[in-house]
Amino acid sequence: MADLAVRIDGISKRFAATLAVNNLSLSVPRGSVYGLLGPNGAGKTTTIRMILDIIVPDSGTIELLGQPHRATGVSNRVGYLPEERGLYKKMQVRRVLKFLAELKGVDAKTADKRISVWLERFSLKTAEKDWGNSKVDELSRGMQQKVQFIGTLLHEPDLVILDEPFSGLDPINSQALKDAIVDLKHAGKTVIFSTHLMDNAERLCDSVCIVARGEKVLDGEVKAVKAERGTRNVALSIDGDASGGVRAVLDDPKLVARMDDQNRFFEIELAPKADPQELLKKVLAAGASVRRFEMISPSLHQIFLERVGATGVEEGMSGHG
Amino acid sequence: MGKTWVVFKREYLERVRSKWFLIATFLGPVFFGFIAVVPIVMAAKTKTSTQLANVIILDATGTELGNRVAKTLENNNPNSPAPRVRTIKAEQVVEAEATATADVIGRQAIGYVVLDANTIAGKELRYAGRNATSLLDVQSITSATRQSLLTMRLEGEGLNAQRVTMLTNVRLEAKTEKIDDRGKEKASGLTSLFFGYAISFLLYIMIAIYGQSIMRGVLEEKTNRVAEVVVASVKPDVLLAGKILGSGFVALTQVTAWIVMAVTMYFVRVPILKAFGAAPAMVGGSLKIPSVAPLVGVALVLLFIFGFIFYASLFAAVGSMVSNQEDIQGAATPVMMMLVSSIIFMQSVLLNPSSTLAQVVSLLPFSAPIMMPMRMAIVAVPWYEIIGSLVSVGLGCAAAIWLSARIYRVGLLMYGKRPTIKELTRWIRMA
Repeated sequence: MADLAVRIDGISKRFAATLAVNNLSLSVPRGSVYGLLGPNGAGKTTTIRMILDIIVPDSGTIELLGQPHRATGVSNRVGYLPEERGLYKKMQVRRVLKFLAELKGVDAKTADKRISVWLERFSLKTAEKDWGNSKVDELSRGMQQKVQFIGTLLHEPDLVILDEPFSGLDPINSQALKDAIVDLKHAGKTVIFSTHLMDNAERLCDSVCIVARGEKVLDGEVKAVKAERGTRNVALSIDGDASGGVRAVLDDPKLVARMDDQNRFFEIELAPKADPQELLKKVLAAGASVRRFEMISPSLHQIFLERVGATGVEEGMSGHG
Repeated sequence: MGKTWVVFKREYLERVRSKWFLIATFLGPVFFGFIAVVPIVMAAKTKTSTQLANVIILDATGTELGNRVAKTLENNNPNSPAPRVRTIKAEQVVEAEATATADVIGRQAIGYVVLDANTIAGKELRYAGRNATSLLDVQSITSATRQSLLTMRLEGEGLNAQRVTMLTNVRLEAKTEKIDDRGKEKASGLTSLFFGYAISFLLYIMIAIYGQSIMRGVLEEKTNRVAEVVVASVKPDVLLAGKILGSGFVALTQVTAWIVMAVTMYFVRVPILKAFGAAPAMVGGSLKIPSVAPLVGVALVLLFIFGFIFYASLFAAVGSMVSNQEDIQGAATPVMMMLVSSIIFMQSVLLNPSSTLAQVVSLLPFSAPIMMPMRMAIVAVPWYEIIGSLVSVGLGCAAAIWLSARIYRVGLLMYGKRPTIKELTRWIRMA
């Protein structure tokens, strides 16, 4: 287990009356993409802030890249994109980026070179206009997000931590971010991101940890997590709306234990001892035109709903993930 | 240390590059110079009103007094239209005054003097006119009358008229000099008073402006959410130290620039003042830069640095406590009160720089940085008081840093409503 980017052992944090994180342990393998999943208020941001030594845990230990997380120089190898993003509005983009890089121990010359490369890569510097010389508040929101992302990576960190990176992104920027995460993985970096969007996590992550109410619900490789649940799920896709007859079949508790109804697509968890062939026959008999009927591992989304359920989401739990 | 430097550099450069810094640095001296020059020019211009002798003298004394006063006024004010004397009887005064008032309204004269039995008795004279609020003008008329009355009385005692005029023609002007433990100072007492006032007012202004600007800067980092990115790279203490030092050096830069410009202006003051029309005599003598002993200079700089850090760290803590602009003024009130309370005592310390009050306010950590320099400029403060003041401000400064760092560490990532005193105490214990 020597090759871990992050090793957390039994950390807890209490804020006044609320226990934000309770005895949480997790391991993030180097070079992996790791998802920290959980509903709002689960303790994701608190956990991330403890990893970054922004807040101090009441108990437990954290190791980053094989060293205690407070060791000198460790923070220079970590890049962080907070959930609430922001930059100095009145500062020139290049100066902000240089400041952020220098805070991580990059010398001025190297920083200048890298800034130019990154600005071009994110099309903030084109033949017509170099946004690097503009003030931050002259940039559009999307551009500011790009600048912030550049700021996270300028010091070429070995470990990149992104808190809710997809929130507030349009589909184009969202795709660009996914590409960037994959690029980082290919470059051998470790990426940890928190999200409550299971689809992104399922596609991007090698491993995940699901937390709810400050406690770990499950963790491990995505493959393993899914395999553990077996293939008792059915992906069903039909033409047109589900008519009354089809509905009745799907509502039969002898066949279906749980169902994610997305109108024309259903992810169905079979009831114990139910026969999938019987389900298919009944659906066809009810007059549905079936486009897809497949035995699958449950999606992270299903696992999340099953394990966390409605009870994991509690109102008023600190406001931060 | 390296990261403090990075924060310091950003703070310093961003502030120095801003338009406001340039405007304040270059227009500041113009403004202050204007404030300094205007009184001199005004004094030169208004010393003797050119209309001073353009008065009607209502002489109800039945003596020569009216004519004598008129003559004295005329001699003293050769540029002014001569006074006119109306000899009246005592019972005609009311009527004569009404006429004279009409004349003043009609701009025939600037005012009128009533001389009557009370004047002869040496008790009073009455003056009414457009310039009745001008102390200098009224004083001139009074002294002209006094001189004339004295001459008349002495002549009545049988003295030779010419001898009397010669003997009573005494024009005194006070030239003051300050003496302290080191002996006489070159500059006049008034100048060092002005110098003391200027120093503490400058310190007050710098601390107020830069302190509040740090406060707004911290709040901005908080509301911009930059703070979280930065504290993921550096400890909040490093950020706080870098910010305070950075702004402090901006303030020092500005003061240095002002001093350089002021000294330059001092050396070229003659043409400047002449351009404003001040009399050459005024220009020559009254302005002298008081000497500052090297040790006093060191103490001044130390007091400024300690005082600046004291207030800057408290203002920074206030900035980290709140989450929006609306709350900030209220939260800053206690710190502002401390700062303002030191300026409240300015007047009494100026007038009596060795009093117990002056000693106390120049020893308290929150007022010493402003009041001590002022006392030092006016009187020779014993060395032990200066040391005491420095120690007190130094300790206050350490306490302020300790307290502020704790509030700052917690406050920087807290959003929502302004904390109560109870919550603040918890933050301080928590950090």
